[in-house]
Amino acid sequence: MTETLLLIGILALFGVGLYGMMILHNFIKLVIALQILTKTAVLAFVIAGEMNGQIQLGQSLALTVIVADTMVAVVGLALAVQVRRHFGTLDIRALSTLKR
Amino acid sequence: MAGLLVLLTILAPWGGAASVLLAGDQRHKTQQIAAVLCSVIAAFAALLLLAFTVTTPSVEYAIGGVFGTFTFIPDGLGTFLAAVATTIGSLTVIFSLDYMHGEHQLGRYYALVLLFIGAMCGLVLSGNLLLLFIFWEMTALCSYALISFHNDDPKAVAGGIKALVITQIGGVGLLVGILAAYTQLGTLDINMLIANAGSLPADALTITAFGFLIAAAAKSAQVPFHTWLPGAMEAPTPVSALIHAATMVNAGVYLLARFYPAFAAVPGWTSAVLIVGMISALFGALMALSTHDLKRALAYSTISQLGFMVYAIGAGGIFASQFHLLNHAVFKALLFLGAGAVIHTMGTRDMRRMGGLSRAMPFVRNVFVIGGLALAGVPFFNGFWSKELILEAGLETAVWSFVVMLITAGLTALYTLRMIWLVFFGEAHAAFPAHDAPNFMRIALGMLAIGVLGIWLLAGAFGHLLESTLPYHESVLHVDSTADMISALIAAPATWLTLAVIGVGFALWVLRERLTAFTNSLAPLMRAAAADFGFEWLNRRIVIAAQSAAVNLRKTQTGQLNWNIVGIVTGLVAVLLVLMVGR
Repeated sequence: MTETLLLIGILALFGVGLYGMMILHNFIKLVIALQILTKTAVLAFVIAGEMNGQIQLGQSLALTVIVADTMVAVVGLALAVQVRRHFGTLDIRALSTLKR
Repeated sequence: MAGLLVLLTILAPWGGAASVLLAGDQRHKTQQIAAVLCSVIAAFAALLLLAFTVTTPSVEYAIGGVFGTFTFIPDGLGTFLAAVATTIGSLTVIFSLDYMHGEHQLGRYYALVLLFIGAMCGLVLSGNLLLLFIFWEMTALCSYALISFHNDDPKAVAGGIKALVITQIGGVGLLVGILAAYTQLGTLDINMLIANAGSLPADALTITAFGFLIAAAAKSAQVPFHTWLPGAMEAPTPVSALIHAATMVNAGVYLLARFYPAFAAVPGWTSAVLIVGMISALFGALMALSTHDLKRALAYSTISQLGFMVYAIGAGGIFASQFHLLNHAVFKALLFLGAGAVIHTMGTRDMRRMGGLSRAMPFVRNVFVIGGLALAGVPFFNGFWSKELILEAGLETAVWSFVVMLITAGLTALYTLRMIWLVFFGEAHAAFPAHDAPNFMRIALGMLAIGVLGIWLLAGAFGHLLESTLPYHESVLHVDSTADMISALIAAPATWLTLAVIGVGFALWVLRERLTAFTNSLAPLMRAAAADFGFEWLNRRIVIAAQSAAVNLRKTQTGQLNWNIVGIVTGLVAVLLVLMVGR
């Protein structure tokens, strides 16, 4: 029962992350939304490991995701800095060079 | 020995291509010597290989995995086509020395021609379906690059792209066919496919058979995929000769002949082949009659003659089709190179602006007339014998198709005479300082003319070569000695009927002034032929539809990150739904 509740919570958090990715225009905020999204994956791994009785596997995968996720955050923020320098704004709508 | 010769046949042209490129465009002489030397070496290797034909692989490379073993099998059919490709290829290279003199970027030209020849040899000698497909695509690439050789001319670029796109449709057909066969058979070995075709499930074999037919039709410029061949006329003339006589278009006929024993039992396959060949032969002849462009007339006649070969395969006359392929290769190379000599000196391809060249270019006239008579099927030139064999095979299979092919033979005589007349006889329309062909051109033209006059004497030996090394074709190769072939053909009433029709074709041109009522009644047909029977229009519609679809799809690419995320989420939901419903 607890696990089901936790899973629903994780799904809700996942929705928050996706929703943020869909509507936000600020680069930094997008990185934050992406972080929320990936954190739900970490939580899901732990819960899934617990439910399967393979908590060690779940935890180690969660750690792997944390490491990868950190790198994504670092690269994302570095990109944000470069974007701010080149375009003078953090609004991602200004980045598109495709016509129309 | 056979293995060494096989490698030499394929790798000598490629080595030549590499050395031409390495020599660089600054050193013309080195490039020319390397190109001629390597193509001639390959030609000798392939001709020598004819004496060493075997039925088992003589070169094997175990690749492993799904690729199986890459083998080269120099059996009669493959070696013969390799010999045609290298011999005629080397003659076109020699011809190019004069024809391409003074052009820029000759390194690219010679390298591509040599790569083309080597790829064609690989294609016909390969014993593995995947290897065959690789070489198949290589020839498509080379033809594209050579047709677009004058890449500052938009027409040449368009012609090249058209050839590439249409032959790619065929390539997809071939790949689908190969995969369908592989999933059932578990091996890519060509002889395994032919030997075990009967035990394959009917649906898989049908997919393979018709996939291969699409591939062959696209490669050999058969209806409805023939439109790329006239567009390919923008290429330098030796390249046209190479594509039409030595390489490219023969690959489709080869494919059909090679896999005939496997697919003959597939319901509807032989009739489909027969009808495709018949329609191509008829349409090609009508279109050749309606054009004023010398090279286009020859291109349409290639479609028509390839139609004869495909028709022969549909009628079960494998030997007749391969014999016609050999004869066609020789006389069409002669006609193209002869036309090249004319175009080289006149600077135009429009036959209405030629005429009266007979006196200025006696040598070219002589060889062109020899080639033309062979094309028309006049007795004792090589085209006559094979065309009669094809018509005999057709008569045995389906009489109604024989009648159509008979009319086509008459039309062939008509357009050939028209072509020769407009170019060499009649009144002169332009005061060009026409001069006869230079020496290197004469070497190539002279050797081909000798071939046209004499190569049919080898019919018996050629048939024996095919028969002794193609175990799976045994039941469909009816081969006699040359003398038997001659006496059988002379005794056959169909031969005399054909000769009469050919005579009528000639007479129609001679009496054209008095038959105005008749020719006027055919005017709508000629207009339809000049418009390519609507296939060109169909092509354009397809291209326009594809382009407008692309423009519409482009709107989905906003470049906005938020919308991309929406797309990803939608895709994810769709996949989840499919998984849930699928369970």
